Amino acid sequence: MTSTIVIGSGFAGLTAALFCAERGQKVTLLTHGAGTLPLNSGVIDVLGYDETRVRVVSPREGLKKLSANHPYNKIGIATVEKAITHFLATAEKYGFPYCGNLDKQIDVPTPAGTLKPTCLSPKSLDATDVSGKVTVVVVKELKDFYGEIIAANLKKFLPQTTDYNIVTFDSGLTGGRDITTLDVARLLDTKEGRDRFIAQMLPHAKDTTFITPQILGATNGECAEYIESKLNTRVIETTCLPPSVNGLRLRNMLLGALQSLKVKIVEDTTVLRAERQNGKCIAVVAKAAAREKRYTADRFILATGGIYGGGVILPKFEEPKEPIFDLPVWFIPGEENHSNEEFFSDKPQGFAQMGIMTDENLLPVDKNGNRILDNVYIVGRNLAGFDFCFEHSGNGVALSSAYKVATI
Amino acid sequence: MEKAEVIVVGGGATGVGILRDLSMRGVNALLIEKRDLANGASSRFHGLLHCGGRYAVKDQEAAKECIVENMILRKIGKSCVEPIGGMFVRLKEDDPDYEEQWVKGCAKSNIEATPITLEEAFAKVPRLSRNNAVSAYLVPDAAIDGFRMAWQNIDSAKRYGGRFKTYTELIKVHQKNGEVEGIRVRNYINGEEYDIFCNILINATGGWAGKVASLAGLSVGVQPDKGTLIAFNQRIADCVVNRLHKSSDGDIFVPHGSITILGTSSMSVPNPEDTATSRAEVENLLKIGERTFENLRSYRILRTFAGSRPLYIPPGGASGRGASRGFAVIDHENDGLKGMMTIVGGKFTTYRLMAEKITDKICEKLNVKEPCRTAEEPLVPEVSESEKEKAGKFFPSFGTNLAAARLGAERFSRVAEELKKNQKSRELVCECENVTLAEVEEIAKEDSCYIVNDIRRRTRIGMGTCQGTFCAFRSANVFAACGKNDMAKDTLSQMKGFLQGRYKGIRPVLFGRALRETEMLRGLYELTFNVNGGNKA
Repeated sequence: MTSTIVIGSGFAGLTAALFCAERGQKVTLLTHGAGTLPLNSGVIDVLGYDETRVRVVSPREGLKKLSANHPYNKIGIATVEKAITHFLATAEKYGFPYCGNLDKQIDVPTPAGTLKPTCLSPKSLDATDVSGKVTVVVVKELKDFYGEIIAANLKKFLPQTTDYNIVTFDSGLTGGRDITTLDVARLLDTKEGRDRFIAQMLPHAKDTTFITPQILGATNGECAEYIESKLNTRVIETTCLPPSVNGLRLRNMLLGALQSLKVKIVEDTTVLRAERQNGKCIAVVAKAAAREKRYTADRFILATGGIYGGGVILPKFEEPKEPIFDLPVWFIPGEENHSNEEFFSDKPQGFAQMGIMTDENLLPVDKNGNRILDNVYIVGRNLAGFDFCFEHSGNGVALSSAYKVATI
Repeated sequence: MEKAEVIVVGGGATGVGILRDLSMRGVNALLIEKRDLANGASSRFHGLLHCGGRYAVKDQEAAKECIVENMILRKIGKSCVEPIGGMFVRLKEDDPDYEEQWVKGCAKSNIEATPITLEEAFAKVPRLSRNNAVSAYLVPDAAIDGFRMAWQNIDSAKRYGGRFKTYTELIKVHQKNGEVEGIRVRNYINGEEYDIFCNILINATGGWAGKVASLAGLSVGVQPDKGTLIAFNQRIADCVVNRLHKSSDGDIFVPHGSITILGTSSMSVPNPEDTATSRAEVENLLKIGERTFENLRSYRILRTFAGSRPLYIPPGGASGRGASRGFAVIDHENDGLKGMMTIVGGKFTTYRLMAEKITDKICEKLNVKEPCRTAEEPLVPEVSESEKEKAGKFFPSFGTNLAAARLGAERFSRVAEELKKNQKSRELVCECENVTLAEVEEIAKEDSCYIVNDIRRRTRIGMGTCQGTFCAFRSANVFAACGKNDMAKDTLSQMKGFLQGRYKGIRPVLFGRALRETEMLRGLYELTFNVNGGNKA
């Protein structure tokens, strides 16, 4: 039985662990925090924008135009497709279904009143076909959701919509601190909370589509479905500021799947270094509460994220590092190439593309293209050569790279 | 037709100081500023209220002025000044002869410089380099907030009838028979142009003084001298720390609230608007700074910024660090234009004195006999302890004192009232600087707020640890809800504009933790909010 260690519990790490476990591998997941899913919308962007920031109509077509160094070209478009199909089945199986496909984008509304293109999302975030009357639901005392502005902006971006109405949900939650979407979502996981929401919204529910903050339950898609059936109309959530409820729903679903597949999860441990022998990694050493611990395996999957996740660090200009395996980090040299003058630029940011260069099997290579280690696979954002914030491709790369290394 | 006896051009410390002084002496005065107040060198400096020690060897006149003004500003601007004291530290590579001259210079300039032992120095500033420090003195330095100082001068002037217009740029000086008649201005926001009449025109535009003088066909020798600074996300020391050597780059650390500013460099630039900074400048400052604090590179950098000192170069004079930090009042009557004067040079610490000197001259011309009272009267009435205590119930944790210092008595009582009656208004728009929704709304509603960045300069939103990550979104929405104009309602442009301003200072330090923070920011605005997209293909 192949043993695999996955380092990191963002979307890439969790799916890599899941897909390996499904294939009968003995998987251990090492994590030192909650991963980046609480900051992540939990929708799967495959490719939202091309290199000139023109919106991609069909992700499948967009993928074909990417440069050779892009991770998708190492993963292969066929694998991306398989990964998506498999994810949709997995999500269904573990009780949090997603919708979408590679041929078109789903429009997800945002709290800024814009639309965000994505490939896969839970049904509750899909605003693609919204038309007619819209009712924006503001929650009393909830921060970061400005109904009037969302309505004013959405009207511009959803031309099929007509009247906008704003109603307030009084959740009854108050107290000594600001309440978050997560508080309200947890309330709506209870029967009383749900009934309260339905009772207050029912008078406004005729011939309208509701747009709400991410409050329709913190567990999975069941709450959204229940509320929609009771109100007998569409209820659509926006993306949200951290903690992202939908990111947590996705995390929750994946952790549940890992448990049922008996994946061993070691929490609160930081992997410090690796031991190598004959071009292979034989073990990683991690720091636990009191002492260091050594983990051995046949294969290692590095899913520690990029600059934000800490998988790639830049302590000094021109000297990026990968802290665990000390792998060479590919980057674009030169002060003028590191960043663009404009923050919201019409071209990708140089710094955002730093990462680990790999071969077609996602094994790390040096600058001459020679393989460095035979059993350490790179997945997710620590892959080099793409700016996921610019092109909207983060979870797509994470998912398909995880699927690739699990099925090699 | 709009009129004023005196028009002051320039909303930096000197300009607002002149407006206040004129208004207090009963002169009908108007200040115009082409952007927002304190947008030039009056905020783009290390925020040090000098004790004068830095000038004690080279220029004892300047040193004496500093210590006198230092004491005055502590008194009249209590909520702008953090009286944290300062330390001069000589490092092993610094000239011991200079120390000797400095001690004498301080004595001659009436600056109290108290020698302390190294043990005492390390006890007070524990992170000071034990390898490099060789001697230390305590001095009466302080930290000062340039934005707040400017706005409080305006508030004071307004009480005496003083008027001001921001985002109003001088484009032409009307003259007749060798006398100033008025000016033509352009509104930066809507492009509208119109005339304002006046008898006297004061050019108090700092690094821009040469440009403004040339609009009247005059020439003034001003060398914009760029100084670059770094803001760290920690309080590295609890008092100001100066290198005891001949003034040079990167030798002053000033703690402010929860951050520390390290500065500055000195570089002649052709254009005072050139406030861009580079990796090389940052590296240079760090390299020098780490002599004083050896582990400097382990601190998180928030951002860099730069401003242009307006160094006055009299015909044939020196530039750069060799130029005098003194100031000059030039009456252009001698150049053939009656009614126009330029004030240039000087430094933030002595802005009030500069204003007094030129106001004396203006009053002489206008035959106004009122004496200057700007050194006696506080800029704004203070918030009383009892009021703070009452309001404390509604403010978040330690936010009461911060808000009281930012707002002054009148606005504070309105904000406290709002917090009391409206629970929603208590939410924090900016967690880093503890700014409530009520406070942001109070400032956003004022006529002088045109863009979200104007709220920042007056409330400190976006200036803390997260550099606008959360408050850019919130403040843009709050500002739009005030519904002033179409520009304000364009939340996406307001957010982007605000964050672009923050990014400009972060770009030269996009490594380490600043880079990590930036990636989180991009994740939120590019992905979660998709501020650039929105349109369907």
